[in-house]
Amino acid sequence: MKKFLLMLVLVLVTFLFGSFAFAESDFEYVKGKGVLVVGITDFAPMDYKNEKGEWIGFDADLAKAFAESLGVKIEFQEIEWDNKILELNGKNIDCVWNGMTLTAEVLASMECSKPYCNNAQVVVVPAKEAEKYKTLESLKDLTFAVENGSAGDQQAEAHKFKKTQVHDQASALMEVASGSSGGAIIDSLMAAAMVGEGTGYENLTYTVALNSEEYGVGFRKGSDMAEALNKFFEKGYADGSIQKLAETYKIQAALIK
Amino acid sequence: MELFLQQLPVVIGALNTGFIQTLKLFTVTLLGAFPLGLLIAFGSISKIKIISITTKFLIWVIRGTPLMIQLLIFYYFPGLVFQNPIWGGGEQGRFLAASLAFVVNYSCYFSEIYRGGIQSVPVGQQEAGLVLGMTKRQIFFHVTLLQMIKRIVPPISNEIITLVKDTALARIIALQEIIWAGQAFMKGSYGISGAIWPLFFTAFYYLIFNGIVTVMLAAFEKKLEYFR
Repeated sequence: MKKFLLMLVLVLVTFLFGSFAFAESDFEYVKGKGVLVVGITDFAPMDYKNEKGEWIGFDADLAKAFAESLGVKIEFQEIEWDNKILELNGKNIDCVWNGMTLTAEVLASMECSKPYCNNAQVVVVPAKEAEKYKTLESLKDLTFAVENGSAGDQQAEAHKFKKTQVHDQASALMEVASGSSGGAIIDSLMAAAMVGEGTGYENLTYTVALNSEEYGVGFRKGSDMAEALNKFFEKGYADGSIQKLAETYKIQAALIK
Repeated sequence: MELFLQQLPVVIGALNTGFIQTLKLFTVTLLGAFPLGLLIAFGSISKIKIISITTKFLIWVIRGTPLMIQLLIFYYFPGLVFQNPIWGGGEQGRFLAASLAFVVNYSCYFSEIYRGGIQSVPVGQQEAGLVLGMTKRQIFFHVTLLQMIKRIVPPISNEIITLVKDTALARIIALQEIIWAGQAFMKGSYGISGAIWPLFFTAFYYLIFNGIVTVMLAAFEKKLEYFR
């Protein structure tokens, strides 16, 4: 029994602190296995499927180019967003590249690339009520649906809004559409792609921007892959290929030069 | 309406792919848990103390913790704790990990149902068998087993129907079963974004499949009636 308890404690300690020593550098590890596994979720316009079911988007295309520059194959793996650190540390994926806001938590638990894209957390409300909610003050009596642990969640916290935590940003939108929540707080890039005329949520619109923030790519803590990606970004900006890609997905205004 | 008709074939296609994953997990779990459950049942009624105590401990742990946590442990612990991601990151590995977690979980529930079935057969029948010179093995297969099967069909049916729906839990380790496939359209898949109805539409798949399962189980129960 003592032995069992000791083992249990050891397992928990390793689990909690998640501090791992790399026998080889992460860069060599990825090169060695010959494939870069990119952890993503379905998130237009960064990573989403086209009609043929292939992964495209600003992040997906950029990731493909990065893998090519390393001379390794690429594999996109959809993950449960709440489990991204588990997936990364468990080596099931090699990076999280999915319009990830560089929050304090993300920076503390991952080795992150330089930011490459601007983002903001915006308030989504039904279009017919948009007039009522144009100022920060007017938002006080709304209850917001936010993705559990997301940047939007933290904004709701910071502004002391009433909030309901849901599973992902798409569910937050469904909350507003169904009237269960008065509003939602989601990424501005996502709001631009998914809300308003010509989308599935024609009756919704977005009004107030609560903050400004940045997107980055996350690798395992201590990984030297982040540095390799920074170099790749530098080259891409210099020859204009990243700017061109941003125009394809209409996010050039958000790009960090 | 026009938009709906346009989306329908795409959505059905994706939901079918997801449902095949659901069915695979369902089938593998049943095929694994039926025999493993019987083994565990034998363990828990074993006369050898160490075996029965260990088995009961296992049943306690598995039945006492949520299947969702077990899925997370089975899938993430090899990589996180032992630095050896045996499952890999792909869909195949996720399926294997999910199958293992489901088989272990369901065998523990099955084992208790089996145990009830075995112990419900009067001891007198076993004694009669012994008097007739039958071995313990012969008594189990020729006397106990069929009576046991007949008695456990209703509670096992319950578990089977629950299993159909429990498979949805596997999405916690990103196994892309039917609910995952339905939710994908809320986020923007295959050129359809912000569509809510596919998620709710998945309910019909479960309902119809459970209808088929119910009819099959009822037919099986009827077939066993001749033991009366």
